[in-house]
Amino acid sequence: MQPAAPLPILLYNGECAVCIRVAAWVRASEPGTPVIDVRPIGDDPEAIAQLHPGLDIWDAYETVHLLMPDGSMKTGGAAVAEVLRRLPNTRWSSGLLNAHVGGIRPAAALVDLGYNVLADVRPLLGCASCGSTNAAVRSVHETLDWLGRTLRAERRALVPPFRSASRHVPRLKQKTPV
Amino acid sequence: MNLIETATAATFDTLVLHADGPVAVEFMSYGCVHCRAIEPIVQEVARSIADRERVLRVNVAVEGDLAAAYRVRVTPTFVMFLGGNEVGRAEGPQPQVASVTAAVTNPFALAAVR
Repeated sequence: MQPAAPLPILLYNGECAVCIRVAAWVRASEPGTPVIDVRPIGDDPEAIAQLHPGLDIWDAYETVHLLMPDGSMKTGGAAVAEVLRRLPNTRWSSGLLNAHVGGIRPAAALVDLGYNVLADVRPLLGCASCGSTNAAVRSVHETLDWLGRTLRAERRALVPPFRSASRHVPRLKQKTPV
Repeated sequence: MNLIETATAATFDTLVLHADGPVAVEFMSYGCVHCRAIEPIVQEVARSIADRERVLRVNVAVEGDLAAAYRVRVTPTFVMFLGGNEVGRAEGPQPQVASVTAAVTNPFALAAVR
């Protein structure tokens, strides 16, 4: 019996809620024999260096890394694209991701853009360890937040007055002075 | 070369509380972007003051109890110890050599004056 071929290792930030959810999705997407070894980066710099001599634990936390069995390393959007190429449910995207149009790969570029946007908004999605997001993303988030609050206030103002008047509001008892 | 040894719950007493001289402990985590930004500065400062002061680190992602015991609320937080006692702390100093040097050395100078 032949030994199992080594799998690509996907390293994710185990302190980041978004990354944990993505890692769980990858694991759930390989119901049969695993095609990707999904691991949290952890806290041991030496253990990380042993996985790949060119990998530093600080770099591993900076962006997603996929360590390939041939010793190469893919990072960021390229790592995400490679994961999509290998997972059974998304393997169909392989041709799309590899397709060249005018010297560029549009689908791969879109994945890269998507990864970078997600990486930027992680602090807003529950990653306390991912730092503060950039000013542009923050202002969009603040605008959406303001819009949401305004719409909620407008909706409250539109509720017919008889609704609130029909509520029974008990009178508060006067506190006895000590 | 990494000059900064990692202290754990098992080694904290020996390396920090029972240390002979002044010790600055950086409470950090590898997933913290601010800790990453300050890392090369901390290495440089640790090298420049190695003859009079030791700089150690505690990874709060692993040593949550130690972080709680020393009321660490943000990373990086530097806590300075002398003779087993805390003599000062600095939360998130600017990632500049002068700022980090002042953060990890001034409390000992003040303690010497007292």
